[in-house]
Amino acid sequence: MGGAISITGMGVICAIGNDSQSVLDSLKRKESGIGPMKYLQSVHTDIPVGEVKLSTGQMRQMLGITGDNPVSRTSVMGAIAVREALSQAGIKNLEGKRVALISGTTVGVMDVTEQYFERMKTEPELQYLPHSNECGRSTHEIAEYSGLGNARCCTICTACSSALNAIMLGADMLKNDEADIVIAGGSEPLSRYHLNGFNSLMILDRQRCRPFDETRAGLNLGEGAAFVVLEKDVPDALAYVSGYANRCDAFHQTATSKDGDGAYLAMSGALAMAGIRPEDIKYINAHGTGTPDNDASETAAFRRVFGDRLPDMSSTKSYTGHTTSASGSVEAVICILAMLNDFVPASLGWSKMIPGGYVPTMGRSGADLDYVMCNSFGFGGNDSSMILSKNRPSGEDAPIMDESCVRVAARKVISDDAELALLKEYLSPMETRRMGKIMKASLLSAFEAMKEAGLEKPDAIVAATSKGMLELSNMFLEEIAQNKEELLKPTLFMQSTHNTIGSAIAIRTGCHGYNITYSQGDDSYYWAERDARMLLRKGEAKAVLVCSFDENLLDGRTKDFKAESIIYTID
Amino acid sequence: MEELILNLKEQIIDALNLEEMTPDQIDNDAPLFGEGLGLDSIDALELIVILDKFYGIKLANPAEGKAVFKSINSIADYIKKNRTK
Repeated sequence: MGGAISITGMGVICAIGNDSQSVLDSLKRKESGIGPMKYLQSVHTDIPVGEVKLSTGQMRQMLGITGDNPVSRTSVMGAIAVREALSQAGIKNLEGKRVALISGTTVGVMDVTEQYFERMKTEPELQYLPHSNECGRSTHEIAEYSGLGNARCCTICTACSSALNAIMLGADMLKNDEADIVIAGGSEPLSRYHLNGFNSLMILDRQRCRPFDETRAGLNLGEGAAFVVLEKDVPDALAYVSGYANRCDAFHQTATSKDGDGAYLAMSGALAMAGIRPEDIKYINAHGTGTPDNDASETAAFRRVFGDRLPDMSSTKSYTGHTTSASGSVEAVICILAMLNDFVPASLGWSKMIPGGYVPTMGRSGADLDYVMCNSFGFGGNDSSMILSKNRPSGEDAPIMDESCVRVAARKVISDDAELALLKEYLSPMETRRMGKIMKASLLSAFEAMKEAGLEKPDAIVAATSKGMLELSNMFLEEIAQNKEELLKPTLFMQSTHNTIGSAIAIRTGCHGYNITYSQGDDSYYWAERDARMLLRKGEAKAVLVCSFDENLLDGRTKDFKAESIIYTID
Repeated sequence: MEELILNLKEQIIDALNLEEMTPDQIDNDAPLFGEGLGLDSIDALELIVILDKFYGIKLANPAEGKAVFKSINSIADYIKKNRTK
């Protein structure tokens, strides 16, 4: 057990380049890839985006995908990045090796669904929606197109921190000897769906984003994919994963807490795992979206961790746009490029300091970066931070307790409409007013299971869903089509990401601990249970709440649903 | 003004999913956010959609809404002065 988690290969495609070398060149030239949309089809042509400068057709060609079946940009961008990563790692023969592909995405294949949404109603053979929210489908496609057909696939949906959480899971699997090689990262295309969603939240800047600037007015969406190859104990690897933490802000579905609680806990946790002090960090790749909210609370969290001595800090979203679920791995690759090439990437667009804030770096060469920190925060307060190092870390991992120590303390299933009225015992009508049946059922199952186990607050929350928030996603797609992308309801969008339920449980229970959502078809629950047991066996939690949920639709509304919460504890 | 206020309340109840409330339960002068009705940032965005959709008023910046959305009366005043439909 234990051993240094080594990054032996990396691949990236985003607005500033189709591979690592071209991304490095753009960063050094301080060239942003944000501009007018070319491939995304939307009425909002005034919104700048960070598009990959290739059509889906061109990417299909690069991968040699024949036929005319629709393919998601998630899958082709992902496969291009995975291929580059495998090639750099020099991995040709995977026979006899235990290989896992872990991808973070939230859009999944929604970019395909939205193209067929109207036709689906009259052409029953085009039933994309039931699959569209199955993010796991895109991960299987990435495996197929990148020659990893036999890899175990896992998909993580924690909104904008998905890809960083994917790398963490990969590191954990190697530490626990569950795999020999892990390819981990994320892929997220631009979609009309989330462009309109972010627009309804009024957090998109009509100009280029200005992270950490006093006049910042929102983010620019971007797209891309990035993956790293993780192996154990490889000398002279590109970089090493030396610390990480996943924590939850447990504050609001789309807003961040004023003091940046989740961000603070994630950064502190990563430093503790790496066994280093804040002053050892030489560069921070901030989450830095450019929204008034994020940058203020991330600044507050920096203040709590680093005080007045903040290391060089930049947001490279000023180059790539916010690649949402892929941003964690895109930015981890940028961090590795910075370490390997002894430079600090500049923050673009900044001119005026936030009162009491920090000045982001304007870039620096000749920098010896032995430790860098990469922050990735998501809706629902899913906040993660990772520390990468140039040198091989020492330090052994904590021992893992025997499987037989784990107990199921309570289990509660909710699948009947009539039971939902019981939620009144726990929440006021004001608190439940926006909730669909699947949310109500999930929360009720969680509260009832906690009651049965005599548990006030879990230490960690793990969610599992195959299709996510199907009804709300369908309603938002309907609105986009009917209202022609105007005057859309933020209430629908803000609850339509897969991690909505995991974070809602955290908000209602005040649980700031580890929080994750798995979406891998029928295997979703397998991954969730595996995670819960590992957290307990490693002593990272004493009680873990696992909530699995799914719903089926009839005419666009919930027809039936099932939510199950299980409390796992350790003796 | 009374008719405007009633319509506005109905639009708010619908858009904010305040299913268990009736227009007469919402005090015209009570604060909508914080300690009053207890609305949040997403509700503020829904109010912006209401202003645009029913009254042709566009607020480009959610921060502008703060003063406008103090109470039902303050929204109604703002609509009266600025409506384009």
